[in-house]
Amino acid sequence: MITLSGLAQALLFGLANGCIYILLATGLNLIFGVMKLVNFAHGQLLMVGAFVAYEVTTIAGLSPYVSILVSMGTVALIGIVLEEFAFRKVRGTEKLNEIFISLGLIYVFQNVATLLWEKNYSIQIPSPLAGLSLAVGEATIKYDLLLAVGIVIIILIGLVLLTKKTKVGLAMRATSQKSDASMLMGININRVYVFTFAVGAALAGAAGALYGILFPFNPAIGALPTIKAFAIIILGGLGSIPGAVVGGLLYGVAESATGYLTNGTWADAVAFALLIAVLIIRPTGLFGEKGE
Amino acid sequence: MDLKAIFTNLFRSRKFQLALVAIAFTAILPLFVRSDYIIGQVLTVMVIFAIYASSWNLLAYSGQGSLGHAAFLGIGGFASALLTVKAGLPAIVGLIIGGFVSAGVGLLIGLACVRLKAWFLAMVTFGFAVIVVTIVSQFDFIFGGTVGFPTPTFAPLVIPFFYATLAIAAISIGAIFFIMQSKLGLAFKAIRENELEAKMTGINTAKYRLFAFVISTFFAGLAGGLYAESIGFIHVSIFDPNYSFLPLIMSVIGGLGTMIGPIIGSVIIVSIDSFGPLTYGFLQPLNPLFRGVSNVGPSLKFVGLGLFLILVVIFLPKGIASLLPKVAAFFREDKSKAKNDGKT
Repeated sequence: MITLSGLAQALLFGLANGCIYILLATGLNLIFGVMKLVNFAHGQLLMVGAFVAYEVTTIAGLSPYVSILVSMGTVALIGIVLEEFAFRKVRGTEKLNEIFISLGLIYVFQNVATLLWEKNYSIQIPSPLAGLSLAVGEATIKYDLLLAVGIVIIILIGLVLLTKKTKVGLAMRATSQKSDASMLMGININRVYVFTFAVGAALAGAAGALYGILFPFNPAIGALPTIKAFAIIILGGLGSIPGAVVGGLLYGVAESATGYLTNGTWADAVAFALLIAVLIIRPTGLFGEKGE
Repeated sequence: MDLKAIFTNLFRSRKFQLALVAIAFTAILPLFVRSDYIIGQVLTVMVIFAIYASSWNLLAYSGQGSLGHAAFLGIGGFASALLTVKAGLPAIVGLIIGGFVSAGVGLLIGLACVRLKAWFLAMVTFGFAVIVVTIVSQFDFIFGGTVGFPTPTFAPLVIPFFYATLAIAAISIGAIFFIMQSKLGLAFKAIRENELEAKMTGINTAKYRLFAFVISTFFAGLAGGLYAESIGFIHVSIFDPNYSFLPLIMSVIGGLGTMIGPIIGSVIIVSIDSFGPLTYGFLQPLNPLFRGVSNVGPSLKFVGLGLFLILVVIFLPKGIASLLPKVAAFFREDKSKAKNDGKT
């Protein structure tokens, strides 16, 4: 039965999804923009982030919103290891090699997570605000969702400040434009790359913790959001943060609305069909000016 | 060059002789392995996956990557099975038409997408596989839903089917190799190395990339039909992303862009898959370490597979096939040394 309030609820659900997608897509976009690296294993970092936040909340008894910080830090460290010991080794070789490496990483992360956590299938991070919600007309908004939106906004503002106002940010932007020239200007490219990857991973960690607060999760949640985040940065234009925000919200809401109208079965298929259609009409994305 | 000269050249070429030896070796294997399970579910599957991985390899040879090849494996499988079961065609005809159906769908996808850069195409193919799965699981009355339906085989199981599959594989892989060596293959290689320069030398890059895509999807569909027949039934799980990643892993581990690479990869991966479970017993002591699962074997197998892939990409970028000349050289050196020792 399709009702207006049901649709409103679905749109809010899409907003929650959109928040996760925005963080994931921004991280991917940053890594792609600066390093020209395609990391299909990015969503696995989200999955790890969710489990880290879960462990921190349940074992150490911290508030789930503090656990976001722990999760960001842990996942950033993992990101540093990945960059130093895997992706750096194939930099400058064929583009497909990065895809092969990230595919290997997907197998490793997903199955290590299965070994450690499979038995708590579909868990959720216990939030003190669970069950509380705000009534807006006929729909209700969970306080957790409102907080999540706020956190995403804070993180995005922090990211913009980092890239626009700091010296590291300047180095990142310079490297993204011309890595050879910035090397000649005395920028240590390797350090910029490690830093960029760590920031991108931290965003995925935050996305994971928020995912765990808003939705139930398991070791297999990483795969689809990655592909969707790629779809979003293709839609929103490569290297553009506003593009990722608009794309993430649009995608989340569109997916959720399709899911509501078709009982969930067609959500992914319609989303991918739209993506393919956009790519056929505009191979560089909706807002993108030039493709890689 | 007339036909006779082509054949004399062919028979004199070292690679052709080696290929004949390899086929002969595989053909006599069933004489020594007297287990129906190993012949039917291991050796036959190896041969089928060698075709499938070779089809993926041809695509990579032209600088394109697919993360959704299972879509074409499945389309070929379902088309050939449906043609045989519902339309009553002979299984062998269904098999071949299945390949052409897969190539037809590949042509449509290719027409739209071959202009895209490598990783855009990878994404589109992945998305396409998701779309196909959704469609197939929506029409249970045609595709059999979660139960699937049994597939008749074009040759009786197990031994005759094995030899028939081997013959099809020899022809298919031979054809793929022939394409790689031909002018078409040269164009693929030029596009892979530098698309802009290829364009400047007058190669219609979009056209040749489309050729590679269509040929690759044809053989993927053929492999799909064979695979469905070899396991006796088909259902929607053939579209699983794992089936998309397997030919990639096989090609990369074996050696991208070589004829022997996907074959080596198929032998290794199918062996791990089939004989891996035998080691699960030894892994039992590890169970208490991992509280997530009751049996650590299957997950550890995939962790190992992932690490293996990463290590091969980093340390052996040309795959295991690049080790073969070194091994051959090592033995030759040994022999010449022995000869010299004999003289002094």
